[in-house]
Amino acid sequence: MSTDNTAVFVIAEQMVGGIQPISLQLLGKARLLADELGTTVGAVLLGQNLTNDVHKLIAAGADLVLQADSESLVPYQSELYTEIIVKLMVEHRPEILLIGSTFIGRELAPLIAARLETGLTAHCIELVIGGEGALEQRIPAYGGMITIVCPEKRPQMATVANGVFPTPVLNPARLGEVISIQVPKNLPQRVQTLEIIREKLEGISLETASVVVAGGAGAGDQEGWDQIEELAGILNAGFGSTRPAVDAGWTELETMIGQSGRMVNPDVYIGVGLSGELQHMVGILGAKIMIAINKDAKASVFEKVDYGVVEDCRVFVPALVERLKNKESTTGKVTHVI
Amino acid sequence: MIDFTFSEEQNLFRKAAREFAETEIAPHVAMMEETGRDWDPVIKALCNAEMMAITIPEAYGGLGLGYVARLIALEEIARVSVATAMMMQVGGLGIEAIVKYGTEEQKKKYLPKLANGGSFSTEAVTEPSGGSDPKGCGTSYKKVNGSYVINGRKCFITNSHIADVLVVMAISEDTPDTFSTFIVEKDMDGFKATHEEKKVGMRGCNTGELELKDCMVPAENLVGKEGKGLSVAMATISDVGRGGMVGCALGLHQACLDASKKFANERILYGKPISNLQAIQFKIADMKIELEAGRLLGYRAAAIQDKGERSGNEFAVAKYFTTEAAQRAAKHAVDIHGGYGCMEEYDVTRYLRDAYVLGPSAGTSDIMKVIVARWVLS
Amino acid sequence: MVNIVVCVKAVPDPSFSDKLKIDPVTKSLPRLDIPLVINPLDSRALEAALQIKNKYGAHITILSMGPPPAGNIVRECLALGADKGILLTDPAFAGADAFATAYTLAKAIEKNGAVDVVFCGMASSDGATEWVGPEIATFLNMPVITMVREIVDDQGDEWIVKADYEHGYRMVKLKLPAVITVTRDLNHPKPLSFSGIIKARSKEISEWDHEKLEIPVERVGLKGSPTKVTEMTRLENRRNVKMIEGSLQEKVERLVQILSNAGVV
Repeated sequence: MSTDNTAVFVIAEQMVGGIQPISLQLLGKARLLADELGTTVGAVLLGQNLTNDVHKLIAAGADLVLQADSESLVPYQSELYTEIIVKLMVEHRPEILLIGSTFIGRELAPLIAARLETGLTAHCIELVIGGEGALEQRIPAYGGMITIVCPEKRPQMATVANGVFPTPVLNPARLGEVISIQVPKNLPQRVQTLEIIREKLEGISLETASVVVAGGAGAGDQEGWDQIEELAGILNAGFGSTRPAVDAGWTELETMIGQSGRMVNPDVYIGVGLSGELQHMVGILGAKIMIAINKDAKASVFEKVDYGVVEDCRVFVPALVERLKNKESTTGKVTHVI
Repeated sequence: MIDFTFSEEQNLFRKAAREFAETEIAPHVAMMEETGRDWDPVIKALCNAEMMAITIPEAYGGLGLGYVARLIALEEIARVSVATAMMMQVGGLGIEAIVKYGTEEQKKKYLPKLANGGSFSTEAVTEPSGGSDPKGCGTSYKKVNGSYVINGRKCFITNSHIADVLVVMAISEDTPDTFSTFIVEKDMDGFKATHEEKKVGMRGCNTGELELKDCMVPAENLVGKEGKGLSVAMATISDVGRGGMVGCALGLHQACLDASKKFANERILYGKPISNLQAIQFKIADMKIELEAGRLLGYRAAAIQDKGERSGNEFAVAKYFTTEAAQRAAKHAVDIHGGYGCMEEYDVTRYLRDAYVLGPSAGTSDIMKVIVARWVLS
Repeated sequence: MVNIVVCVKAVPDPSFSDKLKIDPVTKSLPRLDIPLVINPLDSRALEAALQIKNKYGAHITILSMGPPPAGNIVRECLALGADKGILLTDPAFAGADAFATAYTLAKAIEKNGAVDVVFCGMASSDGATEWVGPEIATFLNMPVITMVREIVDDQGDEWIVKADYEHGYRMVKLKLPAVITVTRDLNHPKPLSFSGIIKARSKEISEWDHEKLEIPVERVGLKGSPTKVTEMTRLENRRNVKMIEGSLQEKVERLVQILSNAGVV
């Protein structure tokens, strides 16, 4: 396999029972970028019991998988992972390195970038090969889109959130090379993950939901927020938030949809009691139908949706929920066509 | 060269006071409006946040900051609750009498507790027989075996039922036209806070009557020289009292402007926000112009006071102007709100009621004009 | 005595963030008079340091890179209880990306002397890369733990912390000296007090430029940034809205109809 400065690499991430969806999405994108550059795709996977996962990475587009399989790699340890990956990057010298914007990725990416003394762009929603083969990294900011490049240093590094790029069609017949990497032993560990504790699991994943309801400051208080949550429940929708709702303490930061939060791509989006701030709206990558409910006729959200209702959500949502409950009882079942 | 900018430190005081008002005072306003009482949480909050210590010297456990700092704090608190600012400012009036005219023993005894919130103070001058005419004072004192026995009634006294340290002015029973001021403590025999007033504005600000019936006050509680009580009362009211009203008025005025801006930008008529209409813009401009002018008058007077100079006249001008302007601003704010300006859920209705209680407090507008005329003609 | 550095960024007040938009004509950010505040997550970082100070005694240095007005934010941090402030200010620092920023901050921490803990907010409200904390740690050859939501054991030089993780959190053991980035769940910052502001009068704020840090100008600011912004465009994502009119019930009916047509109900 070529070891010159031409490959596009992805740091793939193992999760319980498989590969993080973002890793497959990034491999799909890496494949497209590599094809345009006339080069190859590499993936790095650290973890344990990797055989099936490795094949999935190849099926998603990797030509080369560098795998390190060891119990010392589970759970994630930042210093060990950084050491291994930096060494691989120095050896393989890729043009581009993509990392998913997961909890691990957000800590690992800057550690790698600082060691490699290269540039890193966070939360990209578009990656394009520009003039002279440089990677144009686009991020939403200040109500618009900013294009960032890393003109000299290599690899050009970017993190991308789950759901930004489509999941590629897996081709199990694809072939690729797999190289096993030695895991350094007795590396001094000054920071050590002792244990991973799972709390509540999200009901409907926002990134894959076909209907998304998002609530904002207009909820007014926890009671108003719970009403919107009830609406999301009845619609079998993913339930997300904007920053004011998180700041008010009605919901966790993890539910926030937006520039530095989750990305959604539903068929139907309903924004309830939110103003349509650009930081939030850029988190909606695309939706067939967008609806907004807000008591302020001047709210900018009404310029960005297909249907608008000017009404206090604390009045409208209970009425809507009531009506939907009646519909449910008269038709017998809530059907949901994706 | 006159520098009209606040210092970095003064800006920090303002930030601290604003954050305090918004987080610690705001949540209690609705209840105070509803019951006209329930001042305990805000009094406690004021004490915990060192607001009563501002003008108490450091030697006695205070912050030793001046009157500009006091005005900044009052302005920010009044923006959220004029009732709270009023109780704070009159508490400061009682403190001032002790700071300026108290003996070393009195300062050591009362100021540390007043600074840390262990005690709360007020000054009681007004009576049914006169506020604008303090000499018509009916509360009298008599020297008996080295102590003083006080008899009478005070009315419209802020912090009447909260204060445990009260600076009370009385007229001598023996010598005509002679006044003295005393520190009366709440639990002294013969002292009672009696009737609580139900005010139309500044609701939640404790206003009431005091009754003194053969109230025996020890000699060491005399504030200032015997017979010089009127000067003590007048001196404290003329700058600290008037200055406090300026703070209340400026804060209220800013609140009126903020509410008007918000409503004008949100209310759609003829397809556009009403802030596009000149009639509305002119009202807002009037409010802004008077607020800018009032601020300059108030802070100028406070700066003179901080230099240690007499500022009563400048404060008379500022008190007159800012309280009258706040009343105009409140009316503008209500007008801008149209029908909504009559609905209690809109704060501007409270602003209107609070605004006109500013008028007679610490000297009516007519009295202010008398003082200003005297300033010119003398 | 624990030696703590808290990295603080002065950011435009996030409540005005909607006003800061790319100008579609000039394709750049307009200069607006949005007041600067302490980056909200950095307030949590400072509060964490103050809690250590209250418990065990600590010396807290505030470090901030920014133009001269950022000095007010440093002063505010001193009023909140920090002991000393360093403002890194130099025209050469302008245009720094996360890499150059972290490098500059790391050099300043080095120059400041021995340190046990570096606290940072996990992200800034106006940049939000989350990179600066980990990159500082790399340049200082220190371990780092990001997204800390709780400090479980802070005695001695081996700490136990809880850090946000997928669907939960991880328990982490950390050997000092180390960098810790914090989330908003970590604590509730205490408010400014008048006496704190008075105490800040005697506290020192130094201003350091790149020469004081002894770093060449090529390693800071725009020159020292591996990434560069090449273009800013305004996002036009307007749609032609149809407003649903009528009484409350009529609007509810119409919306239910729309949702039904879309196959949602």
